[in-house]
Amino acid sequence: MLKIDNLHASVENKAILKGLDLTVGAGEVHAIMGPNGSGKSTLGHVLAGRPGYTVTAGSAQLLGQDLLTLDTEERAHLGLFLAYQYPVEIPGVSNMEFLKASVDAVREHRNVPALDSVSFMKQAREACKAVNLDQAFLKRGVNEGFSGGEKKRNELMQMMLLAPKLCIMDETDSGLDIDALQVVADGINAMRSADRSFILVTHYQRLLNFIKPDRVHVLSGGRIVKSGDHSLALELEERGYAWLEDVA
Amino acid sequence: MSQEHIEHAIRKEYAAGFTTDIESDTLPPGLNEDTIRFISGRKNEPEWLLEWRLEAYRDWLKMAEPSWAHVNYPPVKFNEISYFSSPKAMKDRPQSLDEVDPQLIETYNKLGIPLHEQAALAGVAVDAVFDSVSVTTTFREKLWEAGVIFCSISEAVHDYPELIKKYLGSVVPRKDNFYAALNSAVFSDGSFVYIPKGVRCPMELSTYFRINEANTGQFERTLIVADEGSHVSYLEGCTAPMRDENQLHAAVVELVALDGAEIKYSTVQNWYPGDADGKGGIYNFVTKRGVAHRDSKISWTQVETGSAITWKYPSCILRGDNSVGEFYSVALTNNAQQADTGTKMIHLGKNTRSTIISKGISAGKSSNAYRGLVRMSPRAEGARNYTQCDSLLIGDRCAAHTFPYIESRNPSAVVEHEATTSKVSDDQLYLCQQRGLDAEKAVSMIVNGFCKEVFRELPMEFAMEAGKLLEVSLEGSVG
Amino acid sequence: MNDFMQQALAAAARSAPPWLEPLQAQGREAWSKTSLPTRKTEAWKYTSLQALQKTFSAAPTQAAGSPLGDVPLPKLTGPTLVFTDGHYRSDLSTTELPAGLRLVRFADATSDQAERIAAALGSAILPGRHVFAPLNDATLTDGVFMDVPANTHIETPVHIAWLTTGQNESISVTQRLLVCLGENSGATLVESFANTATGGTAFTNGLTELLIGRGAQLNHYRLHLEQGDVVHIGGVHARQDADSVLNGFHLALGSALKRIDLVVDQQGPGAHSSLDGLYLPRGTETVDYHTCIEHAVPHCTSQERFRGIIADEASAVFNGRIHIHPQAQKTRAELSNKNLLTSNKAEINTKPELEIYADDVQCAHGATVAQLDPLTLHYLRTRGVPRDEAEVMLSYGFINELVEAVAQAELQAFLKPLLARRFARDSRLTRHIL
Repeated sequence: MLKIDNLHASVENKAILKGLDLTVGAGEVHAIMGPNGSGKSTLGHVLAGRPGYTVTAGSAQLLGQDLLTLDTEERAHLGLFLAYQYPVEIPGVSNMEFLKASVDAVREHRNVPALDSVSFMKQAREACKAVNLDQAFLKRGVNEGFSGGEKKRNELMQMMLLAPKLCIMDETDSGLDIDALQVVADGINAMRSADRSFILVTHYQRLLNFIKPDRVHVLSGGRIVKSGDHSLALELEERGYAWLEDVA
Repeated sequence: MSQEHIEHAIRKEYAAGFTTDIESDTLPPGLNEDTIRFISGRKNEPEWLLEWRLEAYRDWLKMAEPSWAHVNYPPVKFNEISYFSSPKAMKDRPQSLDEVDPQLIETYNKLGIPLHEQAALAGVAVDAVFDSVSVTTTFREKLWEAGVIFCSISEAVHDYPELIKKYLGSVVPRKDNFYAALNSAVFSDGSFVYIPKGVRCPMELSTYFRINEANTGQFERTLIVADEGSHVSYLEGCTAPMRDENQLHAAVVELVALDGAEIKYSTVQNWYPGDADGKGGIYNFVTKRGVAHRDSKISWTQVETGSAITWKYPSCILRGDNSVGEFYSVALTNNAQQADTGTKMIHLGKNTRSTIISKGISAGKSSNAYRGLVRMSPRAEGARNYTQCDSLLIGDRCAAHTFPYIESRNPSAVVEHEATTSKVSDDQLYLCQQRGLDAEKAVSMIVNGFCKEVFRELPMEFAMEAGKLLEVSLEGSVG
Repeated sequence: MNDFMQQALAAAARSAPPWLEPLQAQGREAWSKTSLPTRKTEAWKYTSLQALQKTFSAAPTQAAGSPLGDVPLPKLTGPTLVFTDGHYRSDLSTTELPAGLRLVRFADATSDQAERIAAALGSAILPGRHVFAPLNDATLTDGVFMDVPANTHIETPVHIAWLTTGQNESISVTQRLLVCLGENSGATLVESFANTATGGTAFTNGLTELLIGRGAQLNHYRLHLEQGDVVHIGGVHARQDADSVLNGFHLALGSALKRIDLVVDQQGPGAHSSLDGLYLPRGTETVDYHTCIEHAVPHCTSQERFRGIIADEASAVFNGRIHIHPQAQKTRAELSNKNLLTSNKAEINTKPELEIYADDVQCAHGATVAQLDPLTLHYLRTRGVPRDEAEVMLSYGFINELVEAVAQAELQAFLKPLLARRFARDSRLTRHIL
């Protein structure tokens, strides 16, 4: 699914990723944990092609295609989805208009016929229900005036409608109460399948109680310094991140 | 809050309003080429500077007094002003503080100027300009060690002619505007500062200006050049005695921040504002401007409480890429004062940044206008401006205006402007009084709170001075 | 006096009804003393009138039945009066009036009506506040008087379409509308200004006066749809009595030059004025809106929201003045002006002004200039929306708030596609908006 090789990236001339290697197989769930400032969020943005994030060396392939030469929207068409830690508000553009535009674009590039408005509405309503968002949110501006939890659930709803191949969840669990966390975890678990992979970027292992990862990686100083199974996450919870600096 | 209370407070006297009985050597009123030759001659100026002055004078004759500002005053009779006054005892300039006329020292003490011991405590080097002549500069030796030049501009003309020739008029050209042209023709003295490459000036530099003589105008000229990578913080303070006639102050300040330099220029202006009926007071028509080269920063902070009329727009020309301009202003008008003040941020370089925080306080029957220009030139890729302009009205006879000009010709530049207006509300006053504070104290607290974003930018000892000044200027203006 | 002024006076038609002659004479007198503003005039600092330095002549009457060509006009239920080049076109107008409404052409006015019109014309214009008003007076031969009696509510919108068709020569057109709303009445007025596809150079002087009585409410939509070589110097001058409401919506697509002055004079306590506006110049077009709310009495409110998107080498000017007079305590006034520059050569000059002489007031204004936010654009792209479509969606999103606020449903339905297609001719890029 995803193969990252010796990835170096910088933001505003400051090196953040310094030789990151990561391979995610189809259907797998990987968790990336690490202290603040370790480059966790940077990884997602680099893969999504955010302006200002410069790849200085290395490669990243999604489904065998070189991700880094593609435009942002082409990466999305290929099946990359980044759920933002801080979703962007777009006043004046309705959630519905936004969702339909993205679903149409993605389907078009996958050579799947476009959904007619009735079917789309049906799907959108179902997705709303699945993430426990009132349908009134479809009519409102994208994330405009949404609470933190509502924004996260809105991201999840987009993910459901776009049916991506690789989902990168950037600190989706931060700022959520336990009920909201359950909703988000249920949504992610429901989407797990043999041809869809997940990268859960998180600071806490709490989320992993709800979504069992296949692999856990620790990111520190811009590189993956340790990998293991779920027990690594528990160990991190208990011991913190400081002991890893010696490992690094 | 009664009207009587307001009236009472407005009758409050100007605290710096004493005159000093020093024998002066004053040029009779009038302005012509001979006046300029006299001034230049008295200062033993080189021929090129006399020519420079005369050209400015000839330009000035062709120019019209600006009328666009939101202020009203009878026409200034430029021929009834004396263009040169020097304390007589100063004819032979004192070499140290001990030689300074004790009465003068007393004057400065009354003003609370930290000239002598206070200066040392405050770590301030002071150049004091009395009427038009620079009286003394303290701490010159210590600055000399750091390579900093801090002297009167008359001395600089003789001692550093190449620097003066290069930079005088380079930021504010002679013909820039009516008052700048007048100043260029008749400027009498002022301060000159040069900070060499990479030097951080070891202390705050400070100039105090005072107009003492009746019927004189003050036309000082300040030039600060911060060479590459240097840093300087400069403060000017201004006062004048109470007189029934209006007096003209038309200064020019030029700042040059070369690559990577930083200049912080703070002003506490407390010229005599005139009496409650608007009789007397200083006409403060000042041109202040800085040019910021690559990666440099110019920061203007001003607390304006004095003058009958203020016409003043300390500006930044952000010429170099990544240069930064700041303008923090508190302008308080009371009684019949009129102020039209603000700034211009001219963004020429890429990624230039500017911040404007303006706090206008109007009381009595005064008028207080913010006038600002933010210009994003086609080259100003990625430039940013943020402007916040707040007005506070105290009493129902005053006026507050906001005239922000925003001109953008670059799509990647971002300009944000916000303005609000508010009054000291009865509810706020009631709450304070209910907690045992009297109305004046309450108003002073509210006003200080309103201004704190600007006071924060002042060097600490002056922030306290500014707070006190506001309190005095406002006393009783709300009943 | 320069050429332009002489031509304008010479162009005054001779066919005015006799009762208009004193007004014409007065206008001629005032105009002869007027000098055209220059860039040194504060209110014209950013806008040059150079475009007027050519020969304009009065437009001839268009024969009934002559085709209009393709003019984008809203289709509204309700009476529609159509004027081409300043001349009334009965063949294109529908004059069936809702009960209570009086809609009279100056040319058709009875002597009673003429007396009222003559007395009211010019009364909403504060002295010296509309440079081109005397010229409008001097060249006035026809106009419309919309009269809503007290306590009458007109539900259907009244539509007045002012068209210019100038063929080969440059024409000068005078338009005038006088609206009187009696006490506690209500009405919706739509003014459209457009030119035919074949239209040539035209100078249009469109002046609208709104007299809104106590407790009355007027919803006023003024759409400047003229394109190409049209110079429109126009104005809306409103006077509001106590507790009245004016809801104004203003749109200006670009043309050679559009300068519109909106002046609202609040003369009665409790009045509320709301002005929304959009300006969308492109090419080398110029749009200049000058608004002024005169808060002259206590307890009044105003809200202004203007949005501009400036493309290509176009330029726009927005000057929004809020003037609070000494008596106008308890005023609440807000103004917001936001601008998008979408090209390296586009230009905006904005000046939100506050002039306040009363202390117990709440006033705020804000202005921003920027381009489309790169991170928002990126967010849309991470969801697969192509860049060009994302740009169109965000541009439309920038003005959507004001379009959604258009309460007249038929008009909103007309505006949405018109505006969306301003940002992209390719319907694929607008399909998710419409």
